[in-house]
Amino acid sequence: MKNFYKYVISAVFTFSTLAVSAQNLASKIPSDALIVVTLKGDNLTRLMSVKEFNNTFVGKEITDKLAGSAKGNFKTIEDFGFNLSSTFYYYNRGNDSVSYNCVLAPVKNAGQLDQLFNGAEKSFTQNGKLRTFYSRDSTEVMVWNEEIMLFVKSDGKESYFSRPDVSKRLGLTTPFDPTVIDTVQAATAATDSAVVMTEPVIQEPVVPKKTITRKSQRIHVKNKKRHVLKRKPAKKKTIQIEEPRIEQYAPDSTAYATADTARYSETIDTALANSYLKNDRIKKAETARWTKKMISGYFEKSDQSSILTNKDFIKSIDQKAEATVWISNAVKLMNTYVPGSYLKGINILNGYGSANIKLYLEKSAIRMRSEITFSNEMAAVFRKLNKRKLNRKFFNYINEDKLIGYMGYAMDSKAYLEEYPKLMSKMYDSVYKDEVALATDLFSLLVDEEAVSKVIKGDGLFVFNGLSQKDKTYQTYEYNEQNFETKTVTKTKKETLPDFLLMVSTEDTRLINKLIAYGVKKNAVKDQQNYYELAISKSPMPLYFTIQDGIIFLGTNADEMKQIANHQYHGNLSGRHKKILSGSNFAAYFSAKKLAGKIPAEEIGNPEKLAKTNKVLSSLGDIYIKSDPINGNVFSGEISMDTPAQQQNALKYLFSIIDDTRK
Amino acid sequence: MPKKHLGYLVLLLALCCFSSCFQIVEEINLADNGSGTVNLTVNLSASKTKVASIMLLDSVNGYKVPSKQTIQKEMDEVVAYLKNSHGISNVKKKIDFENYIASISFAFENVSNINNINQHVLKKLKVNAINNSSYTYSTTTHIFQRNYTHTKEAITQYNKLKPEVKNVFKEATYTSIYRFEKPIINYTNPLAKVSKTKKAILLNTGILGLINGKTNLTNKIILSP
Repeated sequence: MKNFYKYVISAVFTFSTLAVSAQNLASKIPSDALIVVTLKGDNLTRLMSVKEFNNTFVGKEITDKLAGSAKGNFKTIEDFGFNLSSTFYYYNRGNDSVSYNCVLAPVKNAGQLDQLFNGAEKSFTQNGKLRTFYSRDSTEVMVWNEEIMLFVKSDGKESYFSRPDVSKRLGLTTPFDPTVIDTVQAATAATDSAVVMTEPVIQEPVVPKKTITRKSQRIHVKNKKRHVLKRKPAKKKTIQIEEPRIEQYAPDSTAYATADTARYSETIDTALANSYLKNDRIKKAETARWTKKMISGYFEKSDQSSILTNKDFIKSIDQKAEATVWISNAVKLMNTYVPGSYLKGINILNGYGSANIKLYLEKSAIRMRSEITFSNEMAAVFRKLNKRKLNRKFFNYINEDKLIGYMGYAMDSKAYLEEYPKLMSKMYDSVYKDEVALATDLFSLLVDEEAVSKVIKGDGLFVFNGLSQKDKTYQTYEYNEQNFETKTVTKTKKETLPDFLLMVSTEDTRLINKLIAYGVKKNAVKDQQNYYELAISKSPMPLYFTIQDGIIFLGTNADEMKQIANHQYHGNLSGRHKKILSGSNFAAYFSAKKLAGKIPAEEIGNPEKLAKTNKVLSSLGDIYIKSDPINGNVFSGEISMDTPAQQQNALKYLFSIIDDTRK
Repeated sequence: MPKKHLGYLVLLLALCCFSSCFQIVEEINLADNGSGTVNLTVNLSASKTKVASIMLLDSVNGYKVPSKQTIQKEMDEVVAYLKNSHGISNVKKKIDFENYIASISFAFENVSNINNINQHVLKKLKVNAINNSSYTYSTTTHIFQRNYTHTKEAITQYNKLKPEVKNVFKEATYTSIYRFEKPIINYTNPLAKVSKTKKAILLNTGILGLINGKTNLTNKIILSP
């Protein structure tokens, strides 16, 4: 019962997989929403039918739990009364005092929804076609009619309530102020009704006109009567619709009846607890008052002030996306939710604007695209940084036959060194203006951007070639049979180590060559003819490096390094990977299935576990991450995972993974 | 590519791949008059690749990784404690950071001197599963006894560990060797075995068995008069 809400809300979002026709609830989302999440049911139902969903692990869990909670005859998710033929929304709006988390869902059969509440013994008010349900402290409200359901969960902000003027106006006390103890003691000792008198009066947004009487509700109220003091006895056959109510506060006045020393600390604890409870109750009452004001006349509001008037939101809508998260403004969002005292005036997101993330569940892949809009100034910086592309010569040193994954990054190091002080200045300027100015000047003075960019040009590629077993020596003990005298012996064992190659572009190798010569002289580097070995005894793995073709190579495979140094390495890389790597400033790839069967049995443990690990790895599609070139002021990127050939589509594949993990 | 990020990536790969194990060896050489020497060793050499990787980090899996200096300091504290303990002399420590082997040896006047000491040393070496033992030796009956009690605290602490950390204990071993001047006539622990000279007894077992209480180290060893 306690989790009823949770189930309803999770059901609402999961139900969105089943929508067919349009019913644009977005017109009900206020224009000042900070975040909007859109779930397009029609897209999703095309990928998986309601019947199929009901048979999945998630479908069964939701139906079972919600049906159990509501004690109704609910067999499928269609029985919960929601209109499964439309788009569902979550949105968040907030200000300096309160945050509202709202869910908008289309209703198909309000009677079924009513039944859901009645079954769960949750009473609601009805005014015409409009039903309203308030949680115990009225900070959670659900309103629905024949077409729409709105659920609101509101949270009052501590930063607001702790403001001296607000605290004073609302009569909040400071829990750890010693005077509070006296005050609370006095208040509680005098009468436990004194606190009740200070409760703000809550007005119902809708006057109840209809009284609902059901057997289950009568039983519910009757049971409650046993536990709640000072509540009017329920009428025998009818019940009053529950007023939006605030949790009753019942201070323990008997705690102060005796003033013996032994109970003093306990009394203080009780006083502090009571003070806290009183504050909490007042804050919730205030939050509830705002919430009621916010939802008052919600369904009657015109579309003029809706989010649909926001061009950026409209632009973010993609009919092909199954889900979209839209963030109105990164700075605004951070300022709303991160207390100013925490950031101390530092604007870490200066220059960041709106953002969105879109999820596409396609036949052959799961794709997640994200976009962020920058200010003109910030976009100009990114354009400069992203001017450099990945060195195409890197491709000659990748062997796709053994390739498990890679991560490539290209950035103009000269532009970065030039722009970095400016970025820092923007971020900290408001607080540490003088210090930042001094530091940035000093940085520019000390660093020769041109020279550094010739040594490290700014592009690099990390290639993961799998795992290899290498012999490692270790010390252990042997005990002779005569008298178990201990003898230290050196043994060898196989250890599984990652096999990788890192490539970094360089133009001026003079400094590196000097460093190598110094390393050789100091025995930190071993010259292996054309390539070098880092002689670091504590290194977890052997490391080799060489410089060829304007590239610094660092890797774990001595043979490979030798071939590179002697111009004998033969790489092979497909066009798909070349295109991804050369077209992006950041690109990554990981193939879990290529790793399957390559993990030595001794690393996993028992054969059963090894088989399961290999099965899971084999079932995972290849993962790609890439960034796109900056377009105007919009920077975008994408992460995707291929769907295995035997799967019908990405949604079914996702549910099959969940089902598999539960087996 | 930022060097720091690359370092973490390599370490992540390394930590995922390496298995680990360690050895604890406790040796006691006991003279007829009840005096003797102790040598305690913790050997992480078989896991040195993993330890070397871990030592490069500040913390791993939420656990603070002690620095070389911290380890040295802890060992110095152990030595100082031993030097000030009644009946203890010739305290020596050895730390091999190449192979990650730490050992402490000392001499005692009477076996009763080591009762609290071994507990303290093992506690300092973060070995809590076997630090609840007491030793007695009677010069008249020639009976050497190790009394061991399993503590539920060990399993409680073990259960709190994350699965990946629990794996560290899977192959870890504990070895005790007691050497005497007189031959052993009888002993009670079936896990122990006697040397050919019959003057030494060895018990080798897995640490996990000690943590979960399945292995008992208690042994009553009767020496020839």
